[in-house]
Amino acid sequence: MKRFRIVSVGLHLVVSLWSLFVLLPVIWMVLAGFRTRAEIFTDPLGLPRSFSFDAFERAWNTGIAGFIVNSIFVTLISVAIIILVSSIAAYVLARTESRVLKILYILIVASFAVPSQSVLVPLYQIISAAGLLNSLFAIILPYAAYGIPFTIVLFYAFFLEFPRELEEAARLDGCSRLQVITRVVVPLSGSAIASAAIFQAVFIWNEFLLALLLLTDSRIKTLPLGMLNLRGQFSSDWPAVMAGVSIVTLPMLILFILAQRYFVRSLAGLGK
Amino acid sequence: MTNHSFRKLPLAAALAASIAGIAGPALAQDSTIKMWTLNNTGYQEFIAQAAEAFKQTHPNVNIIHETFPGDQYKTSIQVALVGSAPPDVFFNWAGEDARRLVADGLVLNLTDLGTADDGFQNTLSEGWLEAFKYDGKLYGVPVDAVSVYLYNNVDYFAEHDLTPPKTFDELTDICKVVREDNPSTIPLPLGNAGRWKAIHLMTMLNERVIGQADAAADYNLSRDTDELFTDPGYVEAFNKLVEMQDAGCFEDAPNATDSELADVMFSSGASPMSWCGTWCMADFDPEGVNYDMTRFPVIEGGRGDPDAYFQVPEGYQISAKTADPELAAEWLSFLVSDDQAQKFAEILKFLPSNPTNIDKVEGATEYFKWAAADMAKYSAGVNVLDVSLEASVAEAYMNASVEVLNGTMTPEQAVAQIRDAAVQAQAAQD
Amino acid sequence: MPSSSNDALARRMRVAGLNGIMLAPAFSLVAVFVLVPAVITLIGSFFTFGITSSAWKWAGISNYIRAFSDPIFWVSLKNNFIIIFGSIVTQVGIGTIMATILDRGIKHGATVYRTIIFMPVVVSYVAVSLIWMMIYDPNVGSLNVIVKAIGLTPPRLGWLGDPNISIWMVLITAAWANVGFQMVLILAGLQSIPKQLYEAAALDGAKGMKAFWYITLPGIRNILIVAVLITTIGALKVFDFIFVMTGGGPANATQVLGTYIYLQAFNLGNMGYADAISIILLVIALILGVAQLKLSRRG
Repeated sequence: MKRFRIVSVGLHLVVSLWSLFVLLPVIWMVLAGFRTRAEIFTDPLGLPRSFSFDAFERAWNTGIAGFIVNSIFVTLISVAIIILVSSIAAYVLARTESRVLKILYILIVASFAVPSQSVLVPLYQIISAAGLLNSLFAIILPYAAYGIPFTIVLFYAFFLEFPRELEEAARLDGCSRLQVITRVVVPLSGSAIASAAIFQAVFIWNEFLLALLLLTDSRIKTLPLGMLNLRGQFSSDWPAVMAGVSIVTLPMLILFILAQRYFVRSLAGLGK
Repeated sequence: MTNHSFRKLPLAAALAASIAGIAGPALAQDSTIKMWTLNNTGYQEFIAQAAEAFKQTHPNVNIIHETFPGDQYKTSIQVALVGSAPPDVFFNWAGEDARRLVADGLVLNLTDLGTADDGFQNTLSEGWLEAFKYDGKLYGVPVDAVSVYLYNNVDYFAEHDLTPPKTFDELTDICKVVREDNPSTIPLPLGNAGRWKAIHLMTMLNERVIGQADAAADYNLSRDTDELFTDPGYVEAFNKLVEMQDAGCFEDAPNATDSELADVMFSSGASPMSWCGTWCMADFDPEGVNYDMTRFPVIEGGRGDPDAYFQVPEGYQISAKTADPELAAEWLSFLVSDDQAQKFAEILKFLPSNPTNIDKVEGATEYFKWAAADMAKYSAGVNVLDVSLEASVAEAYMNASVEVLNGTMTPEQAVAQIRDAAVQAQAAQD
Repeated sequence: MPSSSNDALARRMRVAGLNGIMLAPAFSLVAVFVLVPAVITLIGSFFTFGITSSAWKWAGISNYIRAFSDPIFWVSLKNNFIIIFGSIVTQVGIGTIMATILDRGIKHGATVYRTIIFMPVVVSYVAVSLIWMMIYDPNVGSLNVIVKAIGLTPPRLGWLGDPNISIWMVLITAAWANVGFQMVLILAGLQSIPKQLYEAAALDGAKGMKAFWYITLPGIRNILIVAVLITTIGALKVFDFIFVMTGGGPANATQVLGTYIYLQAFNLGNMGYADAISIILLVIALILGVAQLKLSRRG
């Protein structure tokens, strides 16, 4: 059994090393927020000499609260639209025999492969022509549109395996098709919906490129832009930049640690 | 009223603002002027007090002021102007970009505006207004001009028995002396991570070596394609950059160093010299560093006019889509009025286009006054390369400077690359 | 008879109408913001026009010819492929190793390790980029201190300033951010392999690495393909890391197609040319997507 012990210690060592590699930058981030510029300059690795919240205050005053509110708003509405619209569409597509609709499904699958970079120019022109620039819907609608294909594919696979007897029983009880979806299918698809919602929420919460292009008004910028803003504003004032990044990141990390089981299980579900 | 109770809760206020953003701007019948500027230290403060003062004569006018970092600004402004929600009034440099916006019909012709007694056409001199004139028509209101100077730390120079350089060779000699004294002291840090610091240096090196008279036809792409950027002076100017680097003037990784960090190295006393804009005074003064300013030294045998110097006029333009051109023009007239120009100089420490009250500027340092006086002595202004060159040529120039500093390109290769870009840009113009 | 066939027709029409109504929101969103823009991009790629000019000039295929003779386009493409292959090796590779160890290698603390390693997934790429920029900073960064402490010399031009290594530095940052996601994905696959398989194999003398090769890997084949697909598409679309950390520099050394499109369109105002590069990117994405879907079907 001695060999087994050595192997086990070795394996622990491997995961510990990577865990350390993951943790160190996060720790540096938080510590840097408490240090002064002079301290960082003379000793990049040292500990803060006093825990001053000065840098946090400077960072907070760039309007982080507003960015957080905007991000929450954008994420909630976008994810709600994606889930609602995709689940209904996926159900119809999964139950249809129609050739036309099958082609439609393939079109949607294909649109999953369209990177948002390749449509930047016209996307900008369309949003601009619709007069939506610098409104949060300028960003919500494209986010929804980019989330829908993947979510439909996910739900489609799920609904194909959904037991039809349940639906038929509901139909016999006099439910309309929409009622079948809202009262039978959706309540029993919790795990698939949670997977899709969490995946899209993480993606939208962090989305940067479209926000960069479509939101210039500082009152409606989302968090990733807000953080880039920190860099623009404080440049090499790393304590202020890192304080701002900490303010944004730490609550997310805590939220994740509290709900990690749920998070991990939901995202893992995507691979199936 | 609701606004008032909301103010106690920053989150709620932000939420309200974001919902207002969705509903679309201009809920009230009050008129608003949306204004974009750079995020220089003090710009928020200056516009905020100006907006407040403007209310005395225009009680229903709200000024919405948004600021942007310099490297994002050029893109943001172009994107916004073609969009549905452009700013009414925006900052711009007088140069190639402003000219292109005019050519594309996005900027309002101001020739017939601001002509009242207190209008900008009367408060500003003809020479200043000339900066924003294209084909004889006025397309902007100059508000200030920036230049770049060689700052030196007076105490360090006295201690080491150095005098500010008058010639290029003296400059490189100083770098060597500083390094001999202490190899880890960086004589003249060059924070080129944003790629514009080196361009500011190349602007002056080109000017000193070639001179505007000979370079103009390359800069505006009017020279014959075969001869575009073939003047040996361009290579020579890059050689001068390499000479400075070899003399140890710069830090090891100028392309990975933020401009602001380089400025801090000077203002904290760690470095004895800085190649920094007139806007840097506002950052250096509070740090208490005892500095002096000189013009960039002349280069022996150079073709440039020694009295021509770095000068970028900056100003405000009005979007062609603005709802109320008269009002926007009144706002701009107000911003360059005697009192506001004085405030502008006090708060931003920039050299204002309206010099009436320049002597009354509170807290003006002797260097501020010196720079204001010195700028009046230029025989000609030299616009910075990244503003005066066509966008793709400017991009090539910035990248070439990065590569020369990194040692990944020789000056000859760098100029060849710039020439390629210029030839392509010229072909695209026809 | 006629009435019942009318009824059937009416019913079919009603179902079709209802189907249409139920599909309309999803499809119209996708159409307006994905499909139509893709078509406009294709059209735009045959014209020259600027960001601020409304005049479109017919350019034929000259934008495409320009791309193929533009060295920076090739640098961008090469960097995209470096990031694709680099990410597959680092993210899927390390993710598999971590997942395997956590699944069967260790008995204690697996949840803690999993939580830590997965953590960066919830941090936005912009935040990740900023954190690593500080670490890589040549003047105040911790990496320089560490490298010097173990007796090595850090690169003179800076970790992100040296054109020979900057792309690899970005790759390390991307691995830091994404390994956790791949690990969790693969872990789920591992946990669905029946334990009896391992027990049966152990009786036949297949343990450790042998069991890994003959049971684990085949068991997670499909998951691995999904992981590679996600990584490939992600790496092809990479933008945030490059834009924030290097801006494509030093002097285009870390330019990728995503940032180059943005540069050409919105900084240099060559929108037609940007559209042409966009179409090339789109075609590559489609080819890679189809190839990998084919691969996973065969399983």
